[in-house]
Amino acid sequence: MMVSAIDDSYLKKRYALLEAKRISDFLKEEPPETVIKIAKFFNWKIRRLSIQEGGKFTLHFADFLRNASIFHEKEWKLVNRQIVKGEVTLTQSEAVRLLEEEVKRHIEKRLQTTDFKLPETIAARVDHLKQLLMLRKGELKTEEMPKTIVVDAFPPCVKALYTAITGGHHLSHMGRLTLTTFLINIGMDAEDVINLYRSLSDFNERLTRYQVEHIAGARGSRTKYRPPKCDTLRTHGICINPDETCERIRHPLKYYQRKLRTTQKPSS
Amino acid sequence: MQPQTLKFVQSKFLEYYQNSFREDALPVSLEKREFGALLFKEKTMVRHRSFLQFGQLREFLCELVPSDVYYSSAYYDNPAADEMGKKGWAGADLVFDIDADHIQTPCGKEHDTWICGNCDFVGKGVTPKECPSCGSQKIETKTWICEVCLETTKRETEKLLDMLMNDFGFSTDEMRVYFSGHRGYHVHIQAETVRCFDQAARKEIVDYIVGTGLDFDSHGFRSAGGVISGPALESSGWSGRIARGVYDLLNSSPQELENLGLSKKVVKMLDEHKNKVLESWKTTGPWNTVKGVGEASWKKIVQRGVELQSAKIDTVVTTDVHRLIRLANTLHGKTALKKTIVPHGKLEEFDPLKSAVAFERDMAKVFVHESPRFRIGDEFYGPFKERKEELPTAAALFLLCKGVAEVVV
Ligand SMILES: [Zn+2]
Ligand SMILES: [Zn+2]
Repeated sequence: MMVSAIDDSYLKKRYALLEAKRISDFLKEEPPETVIKIAKFFNWKIRRLSIQEGGKFTLHFADFLRNASIFHEKEWKLVNRQIVKGEVTLTQSEAVRLLEEEVKRHIEKRLQTTDFKLPETIAARVDHLKQLLMLRKGELKTEEMPKTIVVDAFPPCVKALYTAITGGHHLSHMGRLTLTTFLINIGMDAEDVINLYRSLSDFNERLTRYQVEHIAGARGSRTKYRPPKCDTLRTHGICINPDETCERIRHPLKYYQRKLRTTQKPSS
Repeated sequence: MQPQTLKFVQSKFLEYYQNSFREDALPVSLEKREFGALLFKEKTMVRHRSFLQFGQLREFLCELVPSDVYYSSAYYDNPAADEMGKKGWAGADLVFDIDADHIQTPCGKEHDTWICGNCDFVGKGVTPKECPSCGSQKIETKTWICEVCLETTKRETEKLLDMLMNDFGFSTDEMRVYFSGHRGYHVHIQAETVRCFDQAARKEIVDYIVGTGLDFDSHGFRSAGGVISGPALESSGWSGRIARGVYDLLNSSPQELENLGLSKKVVKMLDEHKNKVLESWKTTGPWNTVKGVGEASWKKIVQRGVELQSAKIDTVVTTDVHRLIRLANTLHGKTALKKTIVPHGKLEEFDPLKSAVAFERDMAKVFVHESPRFRIGDEFYGPFKERKEELPTAAALFLLCKGVAEVVV
């Protein structure tokens, strides 16, 4: 109840995670029937294969995706699973891992309700906790991007887009979005970004300005857009020639930060 | 498009929406969909419309006579709200788009032409940076419908349907297949189970269909002590698909293998021992039974096998949960053909250039600037060059909408 009264999404997430972990630790040791029972509580389409069939579980791909699509490991990608007629094969520990996600979201959702009144003494403590949390989170903020543009530190995908545009070649919608958001986020001026597109045969000043300024947060929603994650770039065929640094990052901006640190230090 | 041509095309489109527009392929929950229409005039888009029933929709189309009509794959509580935040997203269909634009075709798209927006100079093949006649950079590409392209997109659609059915378990009733009215096919799934999928889930489905992020270890590929083994032909999911893709590739012409950049020697070895290799690929291996074909070569072969098995969908369309897509039974502004439903299980024999014809009667006189040979229904027309022709309405409209002809008054 206190957690929900503090009404902080970060704290709620932490709490839900801990609770979910407790349940999954418990489930790992339980017989398969218990896992099935809990899963059915969340309306999962799950069943256990007979011993002849391998004794594993199968789960409908919709239930699988709802819980596994946030994992980054390659073995959690649907394309790497055995899937027949909509059913994904799982081991018990994999089923439990997915259940953990389901439980976590379930708890987070229940914590959303804040329409209750707290006694005054407790309310004061809640306020105090809120302040502490604010301080802690301040320390967690990520570093700001430096302002000079270092093309050599671009990830291969963005470098390819950049070379294409400066050579007057057309980019797909996804390509434009990626390049523009990337450049804006590493501190390039909206004006300079617009000029990049000027060499295109179908350049439309008004439209380009609108799009770039929208992404930079100067218009409308005022939120600054970030480039898509590596994962998304792979899906849309933007990712090309990934190198060793790519293997250690999941976001093009992280690549840039890393590269800047390693390339800029020695020389002055 | 000259004024008299625009007038003629619009009058025919109106005639269609008044007399022939049918409601047999409408999306479910019509009242929760946003509609949009592209106007002939200045190609402006009218958006944020919603209709409670078919009659209202038809009235709207007869009033505006648009070149293209779209609806949202999404369901909204307030489909007519003019901001996304106010619409109240309540799920979306799962939609796939296969278009010749995104696919390498055997014809190399030699039929695609471009036209200079300044001087109307027309050229073939790859679009130049600037017009060779007047130097203008305002160049518009004209893509052509060709039977080879249509056949290629059909093959891709078949692969997609196979995955949706056998891997994802969708029934034929749940999948609606359409000819887009131009150069490809659409597959819509309106099943309850897919509606709440978020972008991340849809992205995973896209990666599955395209084979993005495939990890060979996960599919049973092993390389130990110089022996390579892997999945069998009848394995489920991508395991079996990889095996079948490689099998088909090894079974095709040696030229195909050479195209992968394999050395002449390797290709020769594989060809000489074809039967032995194919036999080993039916089971889990070991596969490298042929001397001189190393792991690097096998890697190239397997990569190509994957490519052959994946379906070339437009990745952006499927992951976008706010997408507007063409409405079935409406006319395509670039062809005057209608987006047409393909009957269950009838894709193989479906003839898009016959089934999608929307105009059956009358003739029209047109002046054709340039057109390759083409077919509408059972008839072939052209090639034409700078010629006056009297053609059946559907063929005439096709050329007019393609922008290669004008009406003769
Ligand atoms: Zn010109
Ligand atoms: Zn073609």
